[in-house]
Amino acid sequence: MRIVACIKAVPQEQDIAVAPDRSLDLSRAGWKVGAYDLNAVEAGRRIVEKVGGELIGLSVGGDALSGTKLRKDVLSRGLDSLVVVAGDPSADSFQTASALAAALDGLGEVDLVLLGAGSADRYSQQVGNQLGALLGRPTLNQVDDLAVEGDHLRVRRLLEDAVQVIDVPLPAVLSVTSGLNSPRIAGMKDILAAGKKPVCEVAAAMPGGSTRLVSLLAPEQVDRGHVVVEGAPAEVAQQLAQFLKSL
Amino acid sequence: MTEAWIVVHDTDDGNALARSARGLGDRVVAVSLGAGSLADADLSLTIDLAPGALVEAYARPVAALLAERGATLVVFGTDVRSRLLAGQVAAHLGVSPVDVSGVVSTTPLVVMRSAFGGLAVATDEVTAPVAVLVVGPGALAPVDAAGEGSVEVVEAEPVPGPTLVETLPKPGGQVDLAAAARVVGVGRGFAAEADLDLARAVAARLGAELACSRPIAEGVGWMPTERYLGVSGATVQPVLYLAIGISGQVQHLVGVNHSKVIVAINKDKNAPIFQHADFGVVGDLYQVLPALVDAL
Ligand SMILES: Cc1cc2nc3c(=O)[nH]c(=O)nc-3n(C[C@H](O)[C@H](O)[C@H](O)COP(=O)(O)OP(=O)(O)OC[C@H]3O[C@@H](n4cnc5c(N)ncnc54)[C@H](O)[C@@H]3O)c2cc1C
Ligand SMILES: Nc1ncnc2c1ncn2[C@@H]1O[C@H](COP(=O)(O)O)[C@@H](O)[C@H]1O
Repeated sequence: MRIVACIKAVPQEQDIAVAPDRSLDLSRAGWKVGAYDLNAVEAGRRIVEKVGGELIGLSVGGDALSGTKLRKDVLSRGLDSLVVVAGDPSADSFQTASALAAALDGLGEVDLVLLGAGSADRYSQQVGNQLGALLGRPTLNQVDDLAVEGDHLRVRRLLEDAVQVIDVPLPAVLSVTSGLNSPRIAGMKDILAAGKKPVCEVAAAMPGGSTRLVSLLAPEQVDRGHVVVEGAPAEVAQQLAQFLKSL
Repeated sequence: MTEAWIVVHDTDDGNALARSARGLGDRVVAVSLGAGSLADADLSLTIDLAPGALVEAYARPVAALLAERGATLVVFGTDVRSRLLAGQVAAHLGVSPVDVSGVVSTTPLVVMRSAFGGLAVATDEVTAPVAVLVVGPGALAPVDAAGEGSVEVVEAEPVPGPTLVETLPKPGGQVDLAAAARVVGVGRGFAAEADLDLARAVAARLGAELACSRPIAEGVGWMPTERYLGVSGATVQPVLYLAIGISGQVQHLVGVNHSKVIVAINKDKNAPIFQHADFGVVGDLYQVLPALVDAL
């Protein structure tokens, strides 16, 4: 099977500084691969390990993806190769899905496109839904389990109050949950091998956005007591119990 | 006259969405996928589902219907199926769905959404020719005006694709964490599922509901997903939130930071949760919790 896993580079939240005027400063933020995108990579790898084939990473993003560090990181998680599409990382779902669709067109036949539960910065859980519609392929979100059965996949999909068992004809576009699997941690060997895997850069046009950003501000902080106690368990438990009873 | 359209697949959720959408338009028109007519809408365009068809199989005909009727504002709910419908309908209309956690103004349409895992709130003006909004519960104040309740039956064919094999019940049952006055949250500081009994004992003493961080629900599956708190989970505003073995990442904190009092138990004195707590205990939960049960 030829599988594409879509991954997004996102700024590390703990490096995002909040200024006194509540604006965000991303200038010192390091970049990482979205945590939930790794579930898509892992799901793709497991299928390839089982039925054979190839797993290609596909990412639309800015400067962060030009560095070898991030490229090596995602390649070490089980991708065979990586396709990088130059584009605005803060683009909306339709813009991103359009760029992904254009890049997929250039990749030839692909049996399965996998996406994560949501990107760490936007978390709209929509890029996969839109991509599937643009490609005109069977599309599902919240896929919590999947198995190849001949020419189709059998998947479990988590709804709010029920679980659906669904047969999906291939080629298809699926967004998986973060509970589907535990992404592998790359070892030294994987990281070394990642440096030799092919990376290809492509251009794809993006349509205009559906919104205009008016402001981006951290929410107001609530004032807290900040009492912290430390010591023998019985003692701190006593202090805590007293505090709780005073409420 | 502005028309607010909604696309729904469940009668109760649909009526609730109709009441919310009334704040956005003078008239509410519903496209109802297998959910019949809606009393709280002015007009329901009802589509009967083919046996065994997924509601999402109607995304393309629904988009065509919306385009043909000149809809410029379309509202969807945030449940899994509505989200997929929203994304697909929007794609067929050539626009992006817009997440809405609050509305700033209706003309021009300016809405808020959470960004960077809850670290920030983004305010967006919708500039697309068709606004496709995905609206979370509580994001729009419901307007309790009776709808006209007119009905029009619309024929539509599902697009072939995924086929439903079976629907299984989901274990867990419904909880209303939002109504709880006290909530105890458990995180990855617990090493085994059975150890959650330590937290249950504390919760019982406090008369609190048990909740958790996302990895406890989605990663290891020790608690149902309805019980995790945060940007992608439930939001609570109890009088007391007690976080046990939770580090306090921003994605979790957004779900709890409107609690009146936050208390944390964590063995790492540098855990971020302490910066957001009124009362913090630095200690091993395996020692502190039994002692706490005794002391309460
Ligand atoms: C897009 C996105 C959305 C997300 N949405 C959510 C969300 O809605 N809700 C959510 O919760 N998370 C969410 N997350 C995940 C979030 O980033 C964190 O990974 C998660 O909240 C961490 O859970 P935790 O605190 O239980 O685990 P950890 O971060 O692993 O923390 C465990 C803590 O337990 C402490 N500990 C360990 N042993 C003991 C002991 N014996 N006694 C006392 N303390 C101990 C440790 O010091 C540590 O601080 C999201 C992530 C992403 C990328
Ligand atoms: N810029 C991007 N490049 C590649 N994949 C992306 C991009 N943005 C989002 N995705 C994928 O789409 C999923 C859902 O993202 P979102 O709709 O932004 O929450 C992510 O988990 C990724 O797998």
